[in-house]
Amino acid sequence: MSAAASARVPEPGPTLKAGPTPETDPAPETGPAPETAPAPALDPADFAIAAPLPDVVTLRPPRGRLGRMLHRHPTGVAGGAILLAMLLIAVFAGQLTGFDPAALAPGSRTRFPSMAHWFGTDLMGRDIYARVVYGARVSLAVGFSVALMASVSGLALGLVSGTVRWADGLIMRVVDGLMSIPPVLMAITLMALTRGSVENVVIAISVAEMPRVVRLVRGVVLSLREQPYVDAAITAGTPTPLVIWRHILPNTLAPMTVQATYICASAMIAEAVLSFIGAGIPPSTPSWGNIMAEGRALWQVKFYIILFPALFLSLTVLAVNLLGDGLRDALDPRMAKDR
Amino acid sequence: MLGFILRRLLATIPVMLVVGFFVFGLLSLAPGDPAAIVAGDQASPEDVQRIRASLGLDQPFLVRFGTWGGRILQGDLGTSLFTNLPVTTMIAQRIQPTLSLMLVTLAIAVSLAVPLGVVAAWRAGRLVDRCVMGFAVLGFSVPVFVVGYVLAYVFAIKLAWLPAQGYAPIEAGVRPWLASLILPATTLGCAYVALIARVTRATMLEVLQQDYVRTARAKGLGQGTVLFLHALKNAAIPIVTVIGIGIALLIGGAVVTETVFAIPGLGRLTVDAILRRDYPVIQGIVLLFSFTYVLVNLVIDLSYTLLDPRIRY
Amino acid sequence: MLNRRHFLGAGAGTLLASSLPRPALSSGAADKTLRFVPQANLANFDPIWGTQMVVRNAAVLVWDLLYGVDATLKPQRQMVEAEEVSADGLTWTFRLRPGLKFHDGEPVLSRDVVASLERWSARDPMGQMIRAVQVELSAVDDRTFRWVLRRPFPKLLLALGKTTSPCAFIMPERIARTDPFKQINEYVGSGPMTFARTEWIPGARAVFERFAHYQPRPEPASWLAGGKRVLVERVEWQVMPDPATAAAALQAGEIDWWENPIPDLVPLLKGNPAVKVGIADPLGNIGSFRMNHLQPPFDNVKVRRAVLAALNQQDYMRAIVGDDDDLWKPLPGFFTPDTPLYTEAGGGILKGHDLDAARKLLSEAGYKGEPVVCLLAQDQPITKAFGEVTVDLLQKIGLKVDVVATDWGTVGTRRTSKAPPASGGWSMFHTWHGGADCVNPAAYPSIRANGDKAWFGWPNLPGVETSITDWFDAATPEDERKAMAALNTAAMDGVVYAPTGFFLSYQAWRASVSGIRRGPIPVVWGVSKS
Repeated sequence: MSAAASARVPEPGPTLKAGPTPETDPAPETGPAPETAPAPALDPADFAIAAPLPDVVTLRPPRGRLGRMLHRHPTGVAGGAILLAMLLIAVFAGQLTGFDPAALAPGSRTRFPSMAHWFGTDLMGRDIYARVVYGARVSLAVGFSVALMASVSGLALGLVSGTVRWADGLIMRVVDGLMSIPPVLMAITLMALTRGSVENVVIAISVAEMPRVVRLVRGVVLSLREQPYVDAAITAGTPTPLVIWRHILPNTLAPMTVQATYICASAMIAEAVLSFIGAGIPPSTPSWGNIMAEGRALWQVKFYIILFPALFLSLTVLAVNLLGDGLRDALDPRMAKDR
Repeated sequence: MLGFILRRLLATIPVMLVVGFFVFGLLSLAPGDPAAIVAGDQASPEDVQRIRASLGLDQPFLVRFGTWGGRILQGDLGTSLFTNLPVTTMIAQRIQPTLSLMLVTLAIAVSLAVPLGVVAAWRAGRLVDRCVMGFAVLGFSVPVFVVGYVLAYVFAIKLAWLPAQGYAPIEAGVRPWLASLILPATTLGCAYVALIARVTRATMLEVLQQDYVRTARAKGLGQGTVLFLHALKNAAIPIVTVIGIGIALLIGGAVVTETVFAIPGLGRLTVDAILRRDYPVIQGIVLLFSFTYVLVNLVIDLSYTLLDPRIRY
Repeated sequence: MLNRRHFLGAGAGTLLASSLPRPALSSGAADKTLRFVPQANLANFDPIWGTQMVVRNAAVLVWDLLYGVDATLKPQRQMVEAEEVSADGLTWTFRLRPGLKFHDGEPVLSRDVVASLERWSARDPMGQMIRAVQVELSAVDDRTFRWVLRRPFPKLLLALGKTTSPCAFIMPERIARTDPFKQINEYVGSGPMTFARTEWIPGARAVFERFAHYQPRPEPASWLAGGKRVLVERVEWQVMPDPATAAAALQAGEIDWWENPIPDLVPLLKGNPAVKVGIADPLGNIGSFRMNHLQPPFDNVKVRRAVLAALNQQDYMRAIVGDDDDLWKPLPGFFTPDTPLYTEAGGGILKGHDLDAARKLLSEAGYKGEPVVCLLAQDQPITKAFGEVTVDLLQKIGLKVDVVATDWGTVGTRRTSKAPPASGGWSMFHTWHGGADCVNPAAYPSIRANGDKAWFGWPNLPGVETSITDWFDAATPEDERKAMAALNTAAMDGVVYAPTGFFLSYQAWRASVSGIRRGPIPVVWGVSKS
């Protein structure tokens, strides 16, 4: 873990103990960067579309209980099932349709859904069903890649920021700056920088989402530092990387997983918005977002062009969100026992 | 308190510096060039080059950043490369629609989302909760522009209750102003309602387990009093925070909403400016956005002291 | 700079603007306000500095011209009362109409005209040609000016009255003295409408008000010629980036006139009894597949011909106009159909759509798999649709394609690079040319093939250049036609660019508006509202 490696820089003991935690005391710290002190207290809520984690420090439930808890959350399971179905559609896209999603037929454009073209044809005469099915690949790939990239980079920076005091100020200034640029605008700017492609859309949205993860992880780390067992480990002379590896990292994973599902959902929506503005994936590679963006001007006359991709996108985002909610409830025992 | 505010305001300077440098750097790396757009399709490469020079775009990156930074320090955001208007003027022209849109959205969203979230938490696990949460999830699973088109079709074209597009300035009267904003604000508010409702529910769930809530209930206080007076007050901090965080979300969503409803606001101006590479305008707006963001967060932090007397700065 | 009269004039203008009630408030004012949705945003308002079509369309309302072409494409006198050309064709003397006024109340004088023409001729391709043979351009007296040339330039009046941007707009001398590569910052016009600068919100709206002291000519209006009688008090341009929004606004009666409805929405608009739809510009547009003649693979004429041989204009046209076959025509040439000089000479290769012939040409050319770097602007519906057809086409004939999907701003910059495609250059991009510009080679820079001096792509085809010179020197219509046929053949043979077809577009307006005519520019004179 790169985060663990870079955390080796400072002296282990004092570093982890420094300062009162913002979790319990929002008063300005005496240490560096006092101006950010109150903010982390509310970090759990600190992301674009996600619900906050009522308590960022959750204990990992024993593995055996996980399955049982999922059964207590039927919506979460339903979300997972829908998502699995979408994944299968994406994987077997080639088997599900005989049409090439990129084959142009300007002679038979904007046709109403029929037996030949189940979802109709688009402005270029391409089969919308084929595009939606193949589009699952791109949209899911965008969602998952962004979730992964934003989480991993955000985790690394968040861990460094939470443990290495001198780096904290610098990282948080940059993160504050990046967060204050609205994600959609950031993504458009990044798109203007290069060409429209799946990779660039992923990078653009990841950069825009990453700061929120950094803040979340940093908040978790800061609150964990005050936990007695972490304190004990530090007093016992455990080296910082080991403390992170053993005590801090595992506890960040639960909130991170939940956060990642929301990022995944929001990335798929962001992709659609980028296509809407004309800064998205080029139409030769179908995605749900660009199918809708292309057909949007015709929604009054040819509603089916945006209806089908919108249905698939909504269903998937819904599924990812349900799964995220389910995971959150399942991973947070205190939420679970309420039921 | 005053010292805290001052420190926080001072702390915006490095943040703005980061933002300024980041955006300026990004744009300088971007291949597009306003000179080519100004010159038009029929212009010769030489003409493009001369226009580039007259715009000062042939200078090295650091020189341009320095000039720009120096002007900023004097409070001058520069002049648009296209319109020849000062960036401050262009922003001033656009700020009212965007601000109105955000305020109305905020009002609609908060007044709808908080009660929904509270009720959902109170009835956690029951049908009401499921419905509210289902709606909340749906709220941000449909792209904003789809919501906008459907609303415009139903309420503007079919029913003719509200204008399909455009913005009526508040000087023209509160009613036309509000009428022009209801559809866009509802469109934009969808995702926001969903966000706030979920946060409210989650926080309330936690608060409702606290001892004092149990005590209040034991005292025989009415359900409404307990929920909205005792519990909600204690759940307020995360809710207020998420409202603040959502400002960034709103600004992003405003780009699309303003396009769909042809509202002459800042979101649209930003996209236009990026697509045209009108550097001073982009930088000016992004600085304004980040300053607003920082300021909103400061206000929110200050509101904590009101919501929770234990917090003092 | 500002004298007392200026100040009063400007003050009165502002006063008028602010005292006018908002159109939404008073129905009386509503009848006098024409709400127009232009094709694009009016992002700047210097028609000499910025030559986008939308700037010109706004500028013709505000600034008048010395001459204006009419519907027969002939330049007619506009601000000029009479002109005289010496027998050797070298000295042109012009006399201005009496009573012409700028919007600040000052009279239009010869020195204003001279300064305006100097600024214009520095930027306009035809202007530059005149400049190259110019001995002197000077004011004789307040209403007379003279242009002395070294060599005859028979198309001088066309240059002054053409619709191609930049048009020779007449501005006050102090404004016209601005460096042609810098923007003006005062908009004092000479045309039938004033520009309400305080109400200009770039990207959203631009407002024009009737100029009471404008002196229209007595003749009936025809395109840029004749009497420009404005029948409404105010014209409001409302920019709508989303066509779905504009369609909704027109249906709901919130706008009066929409310049460019997308063809797919036209059936919807036609079905609405309160909306009328008609062809906008009979001269239409010519689609262009522009190739880089300097870099492989399109440096090889056989590869360029392969594209011509394979290209099916119907695919390109259907991709932008939809199923409406009234809106497009196959174009085996480079010039606007249904105009006097139109020719199809040498255009046979475009009629085949023969993929095998194209593949054969490619193998003859010894194509080694160099990637074709396609610069495709995604933010312009036309270039975006063309691009999709092109990618499909090039792949079908076996060219390796590297798609750079980007915005118009990037295409506009990157196409100026002569570097190899791999290091920041390009192989092809799409654009389109207004049919009004393509009626002859006069104002048609993209037909030129003079190597480094030519338009992007830098074709170097001496045969094309000779024919263009022949046309400029042609004395009789017969000679003109002969030169045009030779030009079309040479341009097709060397593939200056690949025409992707000729297409028209619609305009739509509320039934309550009358007087909207076809033309290359949407003019508001003669348009009224009930």
